[in-house]
Amino acid sequence: MISLILIFPILACLIIFLIKNKNINNIIISLYAIIHFVCSVCLCLNFNPYDIKQNLFAVDELNKIFLIVLSVVFLAVAIYNSGYMKDEVSSHKKLRHFGYAVLLFILSMTGTILSSNLGISWVLIEATTLASAYLIYFNKTKHSIEAVWKYVFICSIGIALAFVGIILLTISTGDLNSLYFVDLYNNAKIFNMFWLKLSFVFILFGIGTKMGLVPVHFWLPDAHAQSPSPISALLSATLLNCAFFVILKVFKILIIAGCDSWARIMLYTMGFLSLFIASVFIYHINNYKRMLAYSSIENMGILAIGMALGGIGVVASIIHLIGHSLIKASFFMTSGNILKIYNTKKIKSITGLISTDKKTSWLWVLSFLGISAFPPSILFISEFLILKTMLKQHHYFMSAVFLFLLTIVLYGLLKVVFKMTVADNKEHTKAYLPITMYAPQIVLLLIAFVLGIYFPYFDTIKQALIGY
Amino acid sequence: MENIFIILLGLTMLYIASTSRLLGHINMLVVQGVLLLLISIGGLADEQWFNFEIFNNTKENFNHILGILFILIETIGVKSILIPVFLKKVLNKTHTHRDSGANIPHFYALVISSLILFAGFMMANLHINSFKLISPLIFGVSISIIITSLWMISIKHTVLSNVISFITMENGIFLLSLAIAKEMPIVVNLGVLLDIFIAVFILGMLVLEIDNEFRDLEVSQLSDLKDYE
Repeated sequence: MISLILIFPILACLIIFLIKNKNINNIIISLYAIIHFVCSVCLCLNFNPYDIKQNLFAVDELNKIFLIVLSVVFLAVAIYNSGYMKDEVSSHKKLRHFGYAVLLFILSMTGTILSSNLGISWVLIEATTLASAYLIYFNKTKHSIEAVWKYVFICSIGIALAFVGIILLTISTGDLNSLYFVDLYNNAKIFNMFWLKLSFVFILFGIGTKMGLVPVHFWLPDAHAQSPSPISALLSATLLNCAFFVILKVFKILIIAGCDSWARIMLYTMGFLSLFIASVFIYHINNYKRMLAYSSIENMGILAIGMALGGIGVVASIIHLIGHSLIKASFFMTSGNILKIYNTKKIKSITGLISTDKKTSWLWVLSFLGISAFPPSILFISEFLILKTMLKQHHYFMSAVFLFLLTIVLYGLLKVVFKMTVADNKEHTKAYLPITMYAPQIVLLLIAFVLGIYFPYFDTIKQALIGY
Repeated sequence: MENIFIILLGLTMLYIASTSRLLGHINMLVVQGVLLLLISIGGLADEQWFNFEIFNNTKENFNHILGILFILIETIGVKSILIPVFLKKVLNKTHTHRDSGANIPHFYALVISSLILFAGFMMANLHINSFKLISPLIFGVSISIIITSLWMISIKHTVLSNVISFITMENGIFLLSLAIAKEMPIVVNLGVLLDIFIAVFILGMLVLEIDNEFRDLEVSQLSDLKDYE
């Protein structure tokens, strides 16, 4: 199964290269999405946790959650993409390159999640940068060049620093000579604390760049805003998760080694800084795609805070990650609908969405309600649990700041969504988009809201996070 | 002998910090590649397995041979030949020969980078127990190279200088990886190679695109995307 997920995209690239047909692109991407989804479900149902050591890629209790989230979002994006790209007037060559890049991007993300070796995870995280660079540059405008330059340059520096972290981690391991997570966990107690702590600083800043944590987030708003909407959805809902996953895995080494208090302070700092920066920028935002990008930064901040809290906080982080991926993917895809209808990303140029396209406007409002953690959104459970954990650990000031910043973000989002949806519109006539540009968002939101009412996987997640 | 090469590698950063000619920077990249090869050979010579007998029993020593091949390809092939040649091509196409508008005058840049290198040497002489796990001189110099490169990325004005500083940072990291007595897994090494190779290629392509689109390779041109108007 794992081999199929990892080998298919390479064969698919070959097929796209050989069969020079304009439609083959979408067919292959959709086919890979289906195969990915089916394989992921099968892997999650009968995973075998005992062969982690032997294989570079394996499924365990934790990564199956990330894998299934990636699969669901990719399937939704693949369906949406077939509608979004329908009237794309790009050359066949450009579309073919788009196909290669999407397949390799998903391949590298899947590899990162399934990898049981820190070194391989690092290599594949680097591969995600390279594969997604073309996707961000797809529109080939002046702005997209600027965005992709920042993305490649900042992320490459981040990844290079993460490699320094891995080297320092290797120094701390003494004679272990292995980067398998299992070995690292089993021997963490005898690692040299000085090098281990230093390595986490580099790994957190390096991989944190990819995750979009402040103060190393500068690429994120530009890249998310300039890439085509399906790609923005993938970047926000899956790529950031992969980076979070690697940090989470490395964080466990510090917990076992008993020097996690230092790491927690760093995570708190970066988490709250992310919340602060996101709230400031969302309050004054003028571009709705950038607004969603800042919202991603905010949510990554929440994940970092949950991870730093430990215990139920980490469980809440994972629940938050699931919810954020589903809802943010839907939000970004709906922003693609708006872009198709109005042909602008400026908030002030968009009014009366409800009279132009009722379905899009409802999706826009529901995505907003979901991301703002209005019950029954699944994010309500996660944010409530994080707040509860904070209060339980007597972080009263921290919880007040947390609530305050979330309220500012909520107000900023509400202001924009309300203005775009219901203000008067006299210029635009009714818009008609294909059903594939609505259906994926409806399904994703439905899952997010149903999980908010009935969440049967709490124990499964808790089980996967033993030791945090 | 190995220590002399390490110190020379640190000194190349002073040259890069104190000049504005991009061709000079690229030539220094060639020198850095050669020095890295010499340092790694010096380091490998101390290893027990590094003798010519390893080539007799190829099956057992496959990983070691791969390691040596990797170092040869990485230092000479990629760092000293491929990247400089590619960058020279980009340089000729874009007609950008100098980075004269750095935020800090060259004299001060030289002083500051010297101080960073000095701090690196001082760090190497700290008697901390944990430092016994690695070669302190390599650690000190590589950290100073990484910090100087990051600092130069922030003060230099043309995108090509940024790419060159990025490569010097990668060289610093490569030196740091030599500080570990044992080898990194070969797959990770290949990943590093891929990283440098493709990152430089993509960055190089982007430099050309930026040149086409903006008609100027100043970083300040790349600030159109912002949140306020």
